[in-house]
Amino acid sequence: MFERDSRRTSSPRRSGLLAAALLAALAGTAAAPALAQETIKIGAPLALTGGLADEGHKQDLVWKMWVEKVNAAGGLKVGDKTMKVELIEYDYQSEGQRASQLAEKLINDDKVQFLFAPFGSGHTKIVGGVGERYQVPTIACVASSESVFDQSLKHLFGTLSPNGGMTTAMVKMFKEKFPDTKTIAVLGRDDVFPKSMAEGIAKAAEAQGLTVAYKELYPVGTMDHAAALSSIKAAKPDWIYITGYTQDLILARKQMQDLGVTAPIVTMVTGPSYKEYTEGLGKLANGITSSSWWHHATNYTGQGVWPATADFYKDFQAKTNGADPDYVHGSCAAAGEVIADALARTGSLDKAKLRDAIAATDIQTFYGPIKFGPTGMNLPRELPIIQVQDETIKVLAPADIKNADLIAMPK
Amino acid sequence: MKSGPLAYALLAAGLLVLASTPLWADNYVVRTAAIVAMYGALATSWNFIGGFTGYPSFSTAAFFGLGCYVGAICQRAGVPMMLAWLVATLMVGAFACLLGAIILRLRGHYFAIGSIAVVEVCRLVVSSWSSLTGGGDGLNLPLLTWAPEQVMRFFLFVMLGILVLSLIATALVDRARLGFGLRCIHQNEDAAAMVGINTTLYKVAAYTLSAVFCAAAGAAYASWTGYIDPTESFQILMTVKVPVMAMLGGAGTLAGPFLGAAAFVLLEEVFWANFLDWNRAILGVVIVLLVFFLPGGLLSLARKAKAKAGSGGPA
Repeated sequence: MFERDSRRTSSPRRSGLLAAALLAALAGTAAAPALAQETIKIGAPLALTGGLADEGHKQDLVWKMWVEKVNAAGGLKVGDKTMKVELIEYDYQSEGQRASQLAEKLINDDKVQFLFAPFGSGHTKIVGGVGERYQVPTIACVASSESVFDQSLKHLFGTLSPNGGMTTAMVKMFKEKFPDTKTIAVLGRDDVFPKSMAEGIAKAAEAQGLTVAYKELYPVGTMDHAAALSSIKAAKPDWIYITGYTQDLILARKQMQDLGVTAPIVTMVTGPSYKEYTEGLGKLANGITSSSWWHHATNYTGQGVWPATADFYKDFQAKTNGADPDYVHGSCAAAGEVIADALARTGSLDKAKLRDAIAATDIQTFYGPIKFGPTGMNLPRELPIIQVQDETIKVLAPADIKNADLIAMPK
Repeated sequence: MKSGPLAYALLAAGLLVLASTPLWADNYVVRTAAIVAMYGALATSWNFIGGFTGYPSFSTAAFFGLGCYVGAICQRAGVPMMLAWLVATLMVGAFACLLGAIILRLRGHYFAIGSIAVVEVCRLVVSSWSSLTGGGDGLNLPLLTWAPEQVMRFFLFVMLGILVLSLIATALVDRARLGFGLRCIHQNEDAAAMVGINTTLYKVAAYTLSAVFCAAAGAAYASWTGYIDPTESFQILMTVKVPVMAMLGGAGTLAGPFLGAAAFVLLEEVFWANFLDWNRAILGVVIVLLVFFLPGGLLSLARKAKAKAGSGGPA
């Protein structure tokens, strides 16, 4: 899955001599000879196996698409030279400790100039910490919690907008469309991103005059939401808001059906942002609302290998036999453009200059504008609010890409 | 079982190789060496309760994770780093002592299940107690601002230090009445009680010893990565890996757990690097084969070779 030609691994000749084995194996993992710098190297520790494998493969897919496309066009402009891009990926097996180990390997052995952070806020923090230590610019495309970017890691940049932007607009819109909405019940997964969304929505709802009738967090790995859902049922809220990842939310939706828990509005985040969710639920997904950072129905244009959203969509469909990209694909594919742009502007491979250039990024891409705030996070913008209607994703907001109106949950 | 001179020689050679990595290798290798030292310390700790006493404990990750959290919370409250590690070690030691007095009443499989539950309960408590532990958000620690090479070297020697301390403790226990008593419990707990060994006290001592070095390693690890969260700190995988390492090298011996940890980490490294898709499966097969053909661990190879040489003399 990745190309390494220079790895040597010696095997112990005499089984008894562990000391020899120790030496040999340590030497085996030692550095590959540093080649003359002819390519731009980007390192990516990825979760290709383990709990986050689905997300890891998404990143893998679009980064490879991007690199292919860049190299087919000759490479990236650095000053007056054009350099090819090499993507070096390792599988960190969804284990945080291994993620930081591999980030270190990429920097030390493979001499990468940039890192792509893996999926999720927690692992982004870990890899970002390693990048900071070595002063290697790290681009995170799937970390949206402001808590990741508040520890002032000066070399970590995120292409998603702060998730605070997802809550206020949603409350406002739902109140407008369904003025009877008075109470909300919130159930959140106790994990960096889902937790901050759950807390964010409760805060935004209260600020706009809703009553939070129920608010609890469930621990990572919960296999049964029945108790929480029964309490929600008793509270009779007008709006049920549940956060978590695909598996959690499919389970929650099925249990809601079994227990007869419903409300005029049911929102699940991330839920319908992933096609695995809608595919897994079929008809049951109808009526579920959600927010996302990007949707392929948007039409942004800008610089880079894909000048418009439609170009990316076309390439993506060709590559995946007709699948629809989600925000992970969009955000990660755009992460490469940040690097391309910084290289073009500095015209050198100097680490400090590149870091400053990335901090000053202000570009338009097919994914939308990318401009980093003081913490290194992409600036807030209007994010799409989506709803599943007839088993397809419809966009309810913002107005310029809207293709449907909010409907109540089917009974 | 007493460890022979060969085991000591291997041990010394292994420690020397690890300690000298900064001189001849890059940071990644130094890091691998630090990880070997860390797992070595964990496996050597496990050896007190699992190897000497024969109680199949799966609490390693609980002690490691609590060590991470106590250390991190202290450091965030302004306690200097080294002192925070010490506090973590002492607090987790006290915790293990109290807990041991309760769950060591269970034996065999029941104890194994009880000890694994400790990991899960600790994880749930830490992840629910958001006001103190940050819950699922995890905790950030101040990153050391030294050059990366310096940071790596520092943590290599910290982990080596913890490993050496755990080895010294093992050597002392091995020679003392405690070690003898623990082996008696291993062979037959009722008989041991009958000949006058205070089995409860001995077992609690072994359990506590198995916790303190894990806690120290956990606290140091937290300062090293700079970020911890409940799922990473309390990993069931770690709790299973560590006993496998100890048994791979030779449970109940001085050098075995460390050598097993070194062999395991390096095997993982080699298989992972060469078989991206199949590394876990291959590693699993290797472990099964090793346990099947070498139930006494790698050290028993040396013993067998020696026995062969002995019997190969004039008949």
